Amino acid sequence: MSARCALGGPELRIESREKNGVVILDIQGKLMGGPDAETFKNTIHKTIEKGGKQVIVNLHGVDWINSTGMGILISGYTTMRRSGGDLRLLHVSDKIQSILYVTKLNMIFKCFDNEDEAVASFANG
Amino acid sequence: MAGTIVLEFPSDYKFLNIVDLVCGEIVEGLCTGHLAANEIAISVIEAVTNAIEHGNCQCSDENVRVVFECKNDRLCVEVEDCGKGFDYACFLKNIPDPTDVQHLRGRGIYIMKNMMDSLDFEMVPGKGMKVKLEKLLKPKESGDVIKD
Repeated sequence: MSARCALGGPELRIESREKNGVVILDIQGKLMGGPDAETFKNTIHKTIEKGGKQVIVNLHGVDWINSTGMGILISGYTTMRRSGGDLRLLHVSDKIQSILYVTKLNMIFKCFDNEDEAVASFANG
Repeated sequence: MAGTIVLEFPSDYKFLNIVDLVCGEIVEGLCTGHLAANEIAISVIEAVTNAIEHGNCQCSDENVRVVFECKNDRLCVEVEDCGKGFDYACFLKNIPDPTDVQHLRGRGIYIMKNMMDSLDFEMVPGKGMKVKLEKLLKPKESGDVIKD
């Protein structure tokens, strides 16, 4: 329990970039509700305001997620769908995969292990 | 794992890190597969999140107590809060459809119920709600593949 054992750890950090017209949100930290929900919600709304309709949420830097965090992703998904866009997931860890599978949300979210394939998937509908 | 391991901490999300690490260390030493280990860790975090958020209403003066105990072929975990509890029998009968994206909340108990072999609730008079989770410990070779 050395360096890994820091209390709390970093807050949720989101960095936005663009690739072939697709907005990629690189997330670092833990997705578990509280202020995280507002941070993510604001990012999604800013993306829509800027005209972004195709969003990939890169979960490579997410250690873990709980059901509240899953609700945050669902909120982003429904917001994007209502605005005529879509939200897809990239680099889903084993733990997140387990949650998606048991809740059957794997039927809702399209998940990818490769960034280029995720970006290209929007061209295919 | 022999004996009992007890964690007690104030109702603050920052302690979820500690719970996750301790749970990971405990499960790693048990005879269970990677998938089952993840399911235990996820379920314990769900129970503790509920205890902090709903049980103790994030009041840092109220503690959450987590007890890990290995009993023969199973790992038993109890998560206690200081809250008033809720009508869990009613909730269990009416668990919302987890695929309904109009519901942003309410998947925690569904996840625990489906990832653990046993899930039970008990109102402890004068204390609060106790969530009891059990997972059968299987050989590492089995149950490691998520099937579509």
